[in-house]
Amino acid sequence: MNIVEINGLTKDYPLDKTIVHALRGVDLKIAQGSLMSIIGPSGSGKTTLLNMIGCVDKATAGTVKIGGVDISGLSDRQITDLRLHKVGFIFQTFNLIPVLNTLENVEFPLLLMGKLSNAQIRAKAKKLLDAVGLGDYFNHRPGELSGGQRQRVAIARALVTEPSIVLADEPTANLDSVTGASILNLMQSMNKELGTTFIFSTHDPDVLQYARSIVKIHDGRIVEA
Amino acid sequence: MLSIKIAWRNLFRHRGKSMVIGAILFLGAFLLTLGNSVISGMEKGLDKSVVGGFTGDVILISKEQQDPVVLLNMGGKPVKDILRFDTLRPKLESAGLFKNILPVGKGFALALNEQDGVPGFAFLLGVNFRQWKEMFPESMRIMQGNYPDSTGLLMSTGGLDQLYSTMGIWFQPKGFPIDTALLGKDAKEAYPHLTMQNDIVFMGFNEANSTSDIRLPLDGISKFKALNKIWGHFLFVDIASYRRCMGYFSEADQSASLSATQKSLLASDNDNLDALFGTEPPTPAALGPDQTIIAPKQILTTTLPEEAGAYQLVLTRFLPSVDRSQGLDSLQRFLETSGIPLQAVTWQKASGVVGSMTIIIKIALNVFVFLLFFVAIIIIVNTLSMAAMERTSEIGMMRAVGAQKSFITKMFLLETGFLSVVFGGLGILIGVATVLVVRWWGLTTENDILQLLYGGDTFKPLFGIADLILTVIQLTLVTFLASIYPVRVAKSITPLDAISRD
Repeated sequence: MNIVEINGLTKDYPLDKTIVHALRGVDLKIAQGSLMSIIGPSGSGKTTLLNMIGCVDKATAGTVKIGGVDISGLSDRQITDLRLHKVGFIFQTFNLIPVLNTLENVEFPLLLMGKLSNAQIRAKAKKLLDAVGLGDYFNHRPGELSGGQRQRVAIARALVTEPSIVLADEPTANLDSVTGASILNLMQSMNKELGTTFIFSTHDPDVLQYARSIVKIHDGRIVEA
Repeated sequence: MLSIKIAWRNLFRHRGKSMVIGAILFLGAFLLTLGNSVISGMEKGLDKSVVGGFTGDVILISKEQQDPVVLLNMGGKPVKDILRFDTLRPKLESAGLFKNILPVGKGFALALNEQDGVPGFAFLLGVNFRQWKEMFPESMRIMQGNYPDSTGLLMSTGGLDQLYSTMGIWFQPKGFPIDTALLGKDAKEAYPHLTMQNDIVFMGFNEANSTSDIRLPLDGISKFKALNKIWGHFLFVDIASYRRCMGYFSEADQSASLSATQKSLLASDNDNLDALFGTEPPTPAALGPDQTIIAPKQILTTTLPEEAGAYQLVLTRFLPSVDRSQGLDSLQRFLETSGIPLQAVTWQKASGVVGSMTIIIKIALNVFVFLLFFVAIIIIVNTLSMAAMERTSEIGMMRAVGAQKSFITKMFLLETGFLSVVFGGLGILIGVATVLVVRWWGLTTENDILQLLYGGDTFKPLFGIADLILTVIQLTLVTFLASIYPVRVAKSITPLDAISRD
């Protein structure tokens, strides 16, 4: 079953008086449980593609379906809700809420969902933080963690809602190679254990060995899948 | 709970901005508290000094009176008469609105200078002294001499000052030594070489030019508890003396008819009319067979009730249960439907410039509060908007992981709300403390305009529950209005904005 279906996707950005064609008719299907890497040089359109899949940007033309739902006709509220329930994000710069501690950061999406009791939320967040190796850092604020630790918190937060897809835009870009490798190992094991679809972009060839499928993008077009 | 936690902690994270916004809110709340206290103190003070001390809740004037400025209309036209008040009183009382009804005569009089100097001017207020005391028991205190019983003249220290300034004469109750503490600035400078008199000759002014001079001994010197200078324009005389001075005659005199001989005498073309004005009083024979001589004293004596004579104003106090503005509306409707030839005016209207001045002062204070409001909003909007833009990554990330716009709105409103409660609350507290200190300090003034601002002689700002509610509402409004634009900025931040910043 495909969790993501993209047909004829184009995205144009106005830049001063010119138009940048970031995506030029992309067709892509991503199966549930994939561990996919989108690779390509800078400016090739990989981040734009990830943004489209993550429902944070709107297409100029074409369709993006997440779990069979065409997102082009959804309202802002519906799209936000879709992101909350179906998509997890791991940002390049470990975007965490600075005023919340590790545990609270992981709890954040679950509290937004409001489906579980506080005790259930806490238990779930603790379990995930234990799983990413941060069992001793519950009360640390992001400012008190290293880059690798922060990225682990971001992974735990991305997974806590049990989303269908986790998107990671160059997740190891700001990490040293050892920490980067541990993060990728973690993503790999989570993919296996939870069956969550991981899609990450990178231009680091070392990262590619972790992916089970690779999509190569160049000048806004998929050149190899 | 989540948004509260984030909002609260954000205040400490962005301490600098929190302090800037907090300081503005503190200052705003502090000044709002002071502004509202001054307005409230002024209203309460004026209420006590004016309504409770001189004018009553509503002033009734003749329906024929076109200009409502009937109190401090210096040099203006005389006020239209209210006649046969003895018949109007029962009708007014039947309205069930009044606690006190006090008819008074009010006219402009010249105080003749018997020292060949410049005459003085004053408003004579013809009153029934007993009724005045009943209606305004706390309005004044006697500084020297006696409060007149049925007849007499009572002058305030403010009035004495004014007459001294123009006439150069200090009026002093007979049998009492000069109390230097009562002397005004000019009189003090001249003391002990003061020109002094125990009585004063008034010449009234009226439209018919039929006034007479009356000499009245000064019974007592009074001092109004507030607005002594303004009320000093009025000299209190008994109503009978007032009427004499202003040329009013009794009902019996008005109804006197002329005999045929009198008419023929008036119509006479006789060149020898001067013969009628000899040094001796005319004899009955000279006047004709049907005439008797009526002594002047008898002409002025009225056998009718005091209230049957002419008045110009009726001062009224509503019952404690009657709200002033609602009472005024009810009264106007009542006067209209019951056919009473009177109209009701507020003291502000009746006092002309003085009344307008209080309204202007109040407007100026309100404008000050509004400007404060406006400036506070502008600064807070600017600071909060900058804070929102600086937090693009954080807000965009929250949106990316599923926070709705409403969550961001709540978070921002809570942040500003916390600041408003903490710093605004502190501002109100310090403001209240300042008000208490100022009240304790008891700033006094002799200046007319400041007396209107103070609502009396002493500056007594007042901060009651109603003012607290008003200040809290104003502060809430400032906070809310100042948050609208920054919240819009924050809400417009998209996850893409956060990602683009990466």
